[in-house]
Amino acid sequence: MALIEAQGLTKKFRQAVKEPGLVGSLKHFFTRQYKDKLAVDHIDLSVEAGESVAYLGPNGAGKSTTIKMLTGILVPTSGRLVVDGLVPYEKRQKNAKNIGVVFGQRTTLWWDIPVIESFNLARDMYEIPAKRYKQNLAEFTELLGLDEFMNIPAGKVSLGQRMRADLCMALLHDPKMLYLDEPTIGLDIAVKDSIRKFIRRQVDERGTTVMLTTHDLGDIEDICNRIVIIDNGKIIHDGDLAALKDNYARDRVIHFQLARPPVSMDPICAGLPACDLKSDGLSLSVRFDRFEFAAGEIAAAVMPYVEVIDFRIDEPEVEDLIRKVYLGQLTLDAPDSAAETTELAVATEA
Amino acid sequence: MPHPRKYLAMAKASLEVIFVYRAGWTVNLIGSVFYVVAMFYLWQTIFLSKPGALGTFTWPQMKAYLIVAFILNSTMTWFDEWQMGQDVREGRVAIDLARPVDFQMTRLASAMGPIPFELSSAITIGAIVAIIFGGIAFPSDPAHLALFIVSAALAVLLKFSIIYCVSMTAFWTTGMEGVSNARMAVQNIFSGALIPLVFFPDWLRALASVLPFQGMISTPALTYLGTMDGPTTAFMIGSQAVWAFGLLLFGRLLWRSAVKAVTINGG
Repeated sequence: MALIEAQGLTKKFRQAVKEPGLVGSLKHFFTRQYKDKLAVDHIDLSVEAGESVAYLGPNGAGKSTTIKMLTGILVPTSGRLVVDGLVPYEKRQKNAKNIGVVFGQRTTLWWDIPVIESFNLARDMYEIPAKRYKQNLAEFTELLGLDEFMNIPAGKVSLGQRMRADLCMALLHDPKMLYLDEPTIGLDIAVKDSIRKFIRRQVDERGTTVMLTTHDLGDIEDICNRIVIIDNGKIIHDGDLAALKDNYARDRVIHFQLARPPVSMDPICAGLPACDLKSDGLSLSVRFDRFEFAAGEIAAAVMPYVEVIDFRIDEPEVEDLIRKVYLGQLTLDAPDSAAETTELAVATEA
Repeated sequence: MPHPRKYLAMAKASLEVIFVYRAGWTVNLIGSVFYVVAMFYLWQTIFLSKPGALGTFTWPQMKAYLIVAFILNSTMTWFDEWQMGQDVREGRVAIDLARPVDFQMTRLASAMGPIPFELSSAITIGAIVAIIFGGIAFPSDPAHLALFIVSAALAVLLKFSIIYCVSMTAFWTTGMEGVSNARMAVQNIFSGALIPLVFFPDWLRALASVLPFQGMISTPALTYLGTMDGPTTAFMIGSQAVWAFGLLLFGRLLWRSAVKAVTINGG
């Protein structure tokens, strides 16, 4: 059985609606009006142990709400949810022992006491065996460089330091499942990089299952194997990163730098009928489907007509792809892999 | 409590926090010293204008009442509705919920943590004030003293239960300062913190006797003085316990329905 199993998971929020202005406020005071908002709308999700899933979506898409249901913080309106054999909101405390949580926007450390004391509190709260605690603390301290601020209150360390400490805090009790809600928000490149490496290491070496929400696509490429995209409460894509690139980011662009402007574009165009050619003085770029042509074929077609000094190839960017999905310029059709996993899950259950 | 160790650790951490905010805490303490001294002068004037006892109180008894009230009022000064409001508004409640701990027990632990420190400083100040005003009455025998200690402990638990229940309104309203002030005003009147309940008109005293607040000050203070007869003392301490544990349970129910109903902010 998968570590996370969700079927038809739904969360409906009741939002107060207020008309604008003083009259609206007054009306609101006496007669409250509410509107239902479907934050998460019948999603099916199955995550196997050891997977690292990027859970993406524009602001307000339902990412955090899903995570909060998975962690047992929110009670779903309807649907079935089992995490590691437990229904999170029914066995909240038991579930909490199996999971680690990092919220990029707020700390789980105690604000006023030294960082090390927060760790000690975690030891008592999660009832971590003394030996295990010592080992983990030593390892994380080294990997994350926590030494320099161990005795400073969490309220007084920098954001990068705080995030590193938060990661340590979330992992001290060897959770099977690690939820990360925007773990690199507001951090500089160096810290982002070390945090991503650290998380990836947990996946590779400890087999920790990771689910992260982010707006930073570097997080995805460095950490995750699988991408789930949610929009308006519905999952619109579920598959591995390579498949997403294969299916929707087929175009590569090869840029040539030329010794002199081409005499005529016509023969080149004729040789590459399915490609998109752009020529501007000493530069020539060809956009092509990487499944139809190899870069070498393009080069071979171009070389006879021009003198090439240099060239480079642009790989498809996940970022562009996801931006297009968010903006609605790209519709991802019924994701095959998601359908597969759902079927599989049902089959196992039966 | 199935896992005392984790809650003990939390209590210890919250005691440490007091030391971090020592300036704020000291100012608070100085303020309460002024308050208790003012109360002493006020009541001294009243007693001097009417020689002998006032109702059932003699001046030494009244002084003891004021000191006990001061000490009990000095406990749990760091736990209030405002904090819960902040936690709800800023979504920190979510972090507590993602931990293998009972929410009410964590709050109880962090409310109790500073008590040893609060008590020792309040007792020191109380003793100094008592000496300056010529001494106070003491419980006549060890049995009374033991009863008083039980009653005082229940008073502190009751205070927690009441504040916890009231603070659950944080899930439905954001004006926690108003809620806190309202609770404090009602509590000051009906607990007997400002005026002993015997000085109330009958109808107000009847009202106070059916409310839980008298268990916060009046019951432990009167137990200290030993002015109630045996059965009355037993009944009063019993009803303190019923209120304290009853409201503790009620708070759990409120919490459960709050969690079910609430959309944790920032979701």
